[in-house]
This record gives sequence, structure tokens and C-alpha cells, in this order.
Amino acid sequence: MSIKVRLNPMLKSLAGGQEVVEVTGHTIGECLENLESRFPVIKQLIRDKQGQLRRYCSILVNSESTYPKELTTPVKDGDQIDIVVFFGGG
Amino acid sequence: MLTKDDLTRYERQILYADFGEEGQKRLKQSRVVVAGLGGLGCSASLYLTCAGVGHVTLIDCDRVELSNLNRQILHCEEDIGEEKPFSAAQKLAKLNSSIEVTPVFKEITERNAREIIKGANLVIDGMDNFKTRFIINKACVAEGIPFIHGGVHGLFGEVTTIIPGKTPCLACIFPEVPQREVAFPVFGVTPAVIAILQVTEAIKLLAGFGSLLTGKMLYFNGDTMDFTFCSLVKNQNCKVCGTKEV
Repeated sequence: MSIKVRLNPMLKSLAGGQEVVEVTGHTIGECLENLESRFPVIKQLIRDKQGQLRRYCSILVNSESTYPKELTTPVKDGDQIDIVVFFGGG
Repeated sequence: MLTKDDLTRYERQILYADFGEEGQKRLKQSRVVVAGLGGLGCSASLYLTCAGVGHVTLIDCDRVELSNLNRQILHCEEDIGEEKPFSAAQKLAKLNSSIEVTPVFKEITERNAREIIKGANLVIDGMDNFKTRFIINKACVAEGIPFIHGGVHGLFGEVTTIIPGKTPCLACIFPEVPQREVAFPVFGVTPAVIAILQVTEAIKLLAGFGSLLTGKMLYFNGDTMDFTFCSLVKNQNCKVCGTKEV
């Protein structure tokens, strides 16, 4: 099963410049773990010390919000996950 | 009605076929609120003023500090300690005396947000914190006023245009307000790039031409010099603009 994770610019810079990373998993949580195992620095940015997603991160599947079940939402072959990081400065 | 001076001042943009004199008249009749006079708000209000938007309201509750001057281009060393909206308005009045610039030194809160933006044709996001952005987002949805969001971090930036009732709002994407950042890294050029994209959206929206950044976030990466998009879909369960009972 192949799921594509699209990384926003900040995460892309932490993934060796890759904008799209193919991962495996049956839920978003499993897909993120797969991504984080390859790019541990991404985990530091998107998760807090308890392993929860930071609130400035949003997870979309096929452009739709998955809140409040970000980590448990099931995904299927061909789905696209977007990790959106809010740039809050002005 | 455009004056002879208007026709001269705005001649080069009036030449743009999809804009013309009619577009210029629409800008002249428009009211835009710039919420925040930091890096984004300074550059945005500068270009709104140049373009001839008839009424620009500048809102901020901070005073100018030395550490602002790497990016907040309407404030000078002699303005340190001044209220940002008044510091900015003085420069804009010199740039274009034919428009009306209204400085407001006030904090935007849940209680006053709707009153502040009432009657505006659109609001430009110049905020430097999540909390107030979400207050403005909610107020814009309630008033049916377009909100052009911009945000920056380091050499990264983002822009999207929110049209209440038609596009996703900020709360569709971020249902919970993120924690406040203590101090974010930023080069002056990043908010300049993003603010100019926001004003580009504003001009098109006010004058009624072109296509907008609706239903998508445009990302700018100044480190690698590329622009990317992320599609956004309206969340029917959104607690700000959703249509379903939560």
C-alpha cells in the first residue's frame, strides 16, 4: 500500500528537499511513524513531548481536515496526506 | 470619479487591460483594514496606498521598537516608542495624500473585532500571533468580509484568500488555536514578499478580475526560492464557518 505524504516547505527542508515522500500504513498515525522513522527531526517539529501533534500542525487527507482524529483516521492506497504547518509570524 | 491627478498617478496600472479606469474607481471606493503594522502590515499598507485604495485603516496596539526595524519598513529610528499605526500613517500620508488613512491604536479582541472591521471590503492579515488571527478570522466570517491571510517564519511564508461562505476559513484547517510563539525568526524580505502577494490578491478582489488564492495555500520558500501549493477543502464541521451541528 502506497500513501504519499506532501511536506510543506519547512518539513521539506528537513527531509532532504523531498516534497513528496511515499510511506506505508493503515492509519495516518502509522504513516507518520513511518515518515518519522526515516526523518526523526520531523518528529521533533510536529509532535510534543507526549507524542501528540502540535496545534500548529494540521493533517489533511486528500485536502480535507482530519481533526480531531488525525492519528487514527484510516488511509487507503492512493491517498495523499498533507502536513500543514502554520507560519504564525508577521 | 477619478480626478485628473488620479489618471496621471495611476496611469501605468490603468493601462492593464483587465483593470482599466473602472478598476481604479473600484479601488478608490474601497475600504481595507490592515490588522497589524508589523512586517506584513507595513509592506501591505505601503502597496495599498500606492495602488490608490481609497480608505485604509491601520490597527495595532504596539509601539515601535528597535528590534522591529529589520522588517517593519514604515517605521524609522526616530519613531521608536511611537504608536505603530500613527508612525505608519504619517509615512503613508506623504506617499499618497489623495487617500484616507485612519490609524487606530487598539488591541483587537473578541469583543471589538466585528466593530473594527464592519464596513470594510476586505481585511489584510498583518498579525504576528495566532490568537488574534483567529479572532479576526471569526469576525470576518461573521461579517461576510474577505480575509487575506498571510504568515511568515524565517524564510518561509504562506498566503490564502478566505471568502466567507465560499472557501475554507483558518479554523477549517486549524480547529484549535496554536500556542503563541515567543519570538519567531524572520528576515525582512519574507513578510515583504508575502505582503505583496496579499496586496496582489486584494487588488484583484476589489477590482474584480483575475483568479484568487481561494481554496489553496500558497507557500513561499525563500531558502530554495520555490513556490508550492496545498489544496484546502471547507470543513463542514468547522466551528467558525461550518454548516453542520458539531
